[in-house]
Amino acid sequence: MSAILDRTRPPEPGTRPALRLPRSERYSLSNGLDVLVLARPGLPEVSLRLITEAGAALEPEDECGVSELTGRLLTEGAAGKDAMEMAEWLDQLGAAFTVSASYDVTMVSMHALSETLSGALDYLVATTREPSFAASETDRVRQERLDEIERDRDEPSIVATRRLVTAIYGNHPYGRPADGTYESVSAIDAESVRRFHHRRYTSDGAALIACGDVDAESLIAELEERFGDWAPGTGRIRLPDVPARPLRPGRPLIIDRPESAQSEIRIGTIGAPFHTEDLYAATVGNAILGGLFSSRINMNLREDKGWTYGARSAFHYRRGAGPFVAQTAVETPVTADAVSEMMAEIRGMVSDPPSEEEMSLAKNALTLSLPRQFETTSQVTGKLARQVIFGLPEDYWERYPERINAVTREQIVAAIERYLDEERLVFLVVGDASSIEPGLRALGPTEVVAG
Amino acid sequence: MSTVHFPFESHTLENGLRVILQPDRTTPVVAVHLMYHVGSKNERPGRTGFAHLFEHLLFQGSENVPREGHFKFIQNAGGTLNGTTWFDRTNYFETVPSNELDLALWLESDRMGFFAPSITQAKLDNQRDVVKNERRQSYENRPYGLAFETVIRNAYPEGHPYRHPTIGYMQDLDAATLEDVHDFFATYYIPNNAALVVSGDFDPSHALARIEHFFGDIPAGDDPPPVEVPIVKGGREKREEITDRVQVPRVYIMFHSPSFNDSEFEAADVLTSLLAEGKSSRMRRELVYERRIAGEVEAFTWPTESVGMLFAVATARPGVEASELEAAMLETIDGLRAQGAQEEELSGARNRVRRALIRRLQSVGNRADALAHAEVLRGDPTYVNQAFARYDAVTPDAVDAVAQTTLQPGERIVVSVLPAEDSNGGQDGAEAIG
Repeated sequence: MSAILDRTRPPEPGTRPALRLPRSERYSLSNGLDVLVLARPGLPEVSLRLITEAGAALEPEDECGVSELTGRLLTEGAAGKDAMEMAEWLDQLGAAFTVSASYDVTMVSMHALSETLSGALDYLVATTREPSFAASETDRVRQERLDEIERDRDEPSIVATRRLVTAIYGNHPYGRPADGTYESVSAIDAESVRRFHHRRYTSDGAALIACGDVDAESLIAELEERFGDWAPGTGRIRLPDVPARPLRPGRPLIIDRPESAQSEIRIGTIGAPFHTEDLYAATVGNAILGGLFSSRINMNLREDKGWTYGARSAFHYRRGAGPFVAQTAVETPVTADAVSEMMAEIRGMVSDPPSEEEMSLAKNALTLSLPRQFETTSQVTGKLARQVIFGLPEDYWERYPERINAVTREQIVAAIERYLDEERLVFLVVGDASSIEPGLRALGPTEVVAG
Repeated sequence: MSTVHFPFESHTLENGLRVILQPDRTTPVVAVHLMYHVGSKNERPGRTGFAHLFEHLLFQGSENVPREGHFKFIQNAGGTLNGTTWFDRTNYFETVPSNELDLALWLESDRMGFFAPSITQAKLDNQRDVVKNERRQSYENRPYGLAFETVIRNAYPEGHPYRHPTIGYMQDLDAATLEDVHDFFATYYIPNNAALVVSGDFDPSHALARIEHFFGDIPAGDDPPPVEVPIVKGGREKREEITDRVQVPRVYIMFHSPSFNDSEFEAADVLTSLLAEGKSSRMRRELVYERRIAGEVEAFTWPTESVGMLFAVATARPGVEASELEAAMLETIDGLRAQGAQEEELSGARNRVRRALIRRLQSVGNRADALAHAEVLRGDPTYVNQAFARYDAVTPDAVDAVAQTTLQPGERIVVSVLPAEDSNGGQDGAEAIG
């Protein structure tokens, strides 16, 4: 077998292993609550997730940020224990507990040693079903959130993305930060949190997910004890319609940050919702445009020009049409040129459609990477969570490759034309206005606001 | 408690390349990890940032691999890849489907053996610009981004190999030449200065044969010149204040501490866990929860090869001065030193450390990294399996001992990052951004 080594060409791959993705078992508790379990013996650990229909896009408009604040408060007093007793409990378990309130759902994630699983489940049920929301703790955590919102103003990359989504979606929930604004969070009190929790933390649309060193049968029994009597709520809320067109396309918006070392650039628009026919074409198209290291935008701005450490783009898929965002940070003098180059790359997807080589690289990167996306227990529960959030069939990931591989050049061009038409693009730069404004004027009438 | 053990075997090729094979058939993927024993500490004066710039150049192709080919080949195979540079080592790694092991070995062996003829001034200039933009993006234009380089500049004397940041200084990046590139490659990028770890779905005897096939003919070089890394101990506290475009102050306190190679390393690591990991930890409880003067606190050690660093970092709440925050941090730290660690807080820390270790070592990529790190820095990859027992064995006395020697005023460097005068404080405009 030790053939002569020919280094001049890449070695032939071995036989491709058949795609065998782990599949979960689906159970129902007596109240109908869905439980997805994937037993994976091996390492003595388990990843747990609880998903509730408590997404930021479903918040009352004047309580923007209540989902995030509610999530933060779950650990700050529950089941008769105060905040410090809860902290000691979790720290003794040694488990990790995180809450993320996205636009679609609130997801509570735990990672625990399997020998502490029962304790971790006790902690999970206490926090999600019996939080106390004491007024004093609510005031404290709200103040911590307000401090964080203040600190976020120091991060040009955060400022850029926040301003961008508002310029795209206006007053729609997707135009507001999922974790709230200074003004809206200031107005939230323990009563609003309690109300939000009561309405949204119910078994309606909720699901529990587990992967790791567990025995499915005994896990289900433990979950039945803790969540089997979780009552349903008043049903799902409908997401407000996403606007058809972005709010302020075409006019470069400059957030002034005098003497910035770099300019943070964003080009964005309303992208595609998850459930759309051209999802796969948009995904392959974006991989070629800005999704991969070897994408057009990164090759141009980084590897050809050396203007940036990196440039990329993504469709952010949600239940409604989430944003498309192309982004980079460049040295100040080339700011306008960089925006023009990114625009040219977006146009180029239509005028110079993807080659066979680009399409096969993108498709391979998207499909042959599937096994390693299911490697760790947290990855597996994350994928199962996606299945729950978007209501995907169990064979979704197994069928994913054939759907991606069926995408044609014409479909990619059509998706890019549909979503990324130049008339729909919003431009925004956080940087030194006095240096960059003259150049950006070429792209349209500019507006400069204080940072 | 169930034991965790990752079986592996070790070999050394004739050219000195150390090979560690760690089979695990759980997922049909394989991680290939090549770690070179060279980092920013090997840089010569006036060339800070060079080891990292060099790492970028290794992605610019080699004799048989075109520019950007490395990324294209690996992504086309469904793999992921990257490289990182640190004080003590530089690593290059990819995780690919298990039928693409040869591809990863071909790519890594081509740049180890056949990089030099492919490098050009244009590639150097391009990646120099990229790295300068990395410095702008990740350090200069980021709040508190220059704090760590300020800490180490104060912690180590002029000429000390740990005194400068891995990203380097702009003027030194500008100064790098093609000749530097060729010298650095010839000196450090030799098989006898590297360890290759393969972890995942493969047959060890087959993999060893393939490694021999691709790497066996790369000649060994002279052992690289050793770097003297003097231990800095004792003396007096060092302090510096810097300003940044931030709303609130942040205080960094560093202590000279045990290195990754010292037997007290795990105790020092556990000590940081007692200080700031978890909401009931001492600094979180006292500074965030009770006194409400800090918004964020953290504490950690860096697993460096020769001399250790232990950090405590706290960010002030609005209206709190850096001096008040620093005094409170020191009160907590001194309190731990005076009272000693309690068995109860240690038992939680053991669970946390064990869980975090298991979580990290789940992926073959991280496992390969841990094995390579232990091999290159400690000369002992079995450390990865021993770590569980070593952390379990940390007693209150061991934590107290390390606290006594490490948490001393004379071992301490304090850097405060203060809001610049013109930092637009207050709430104006917050809602528009927020």
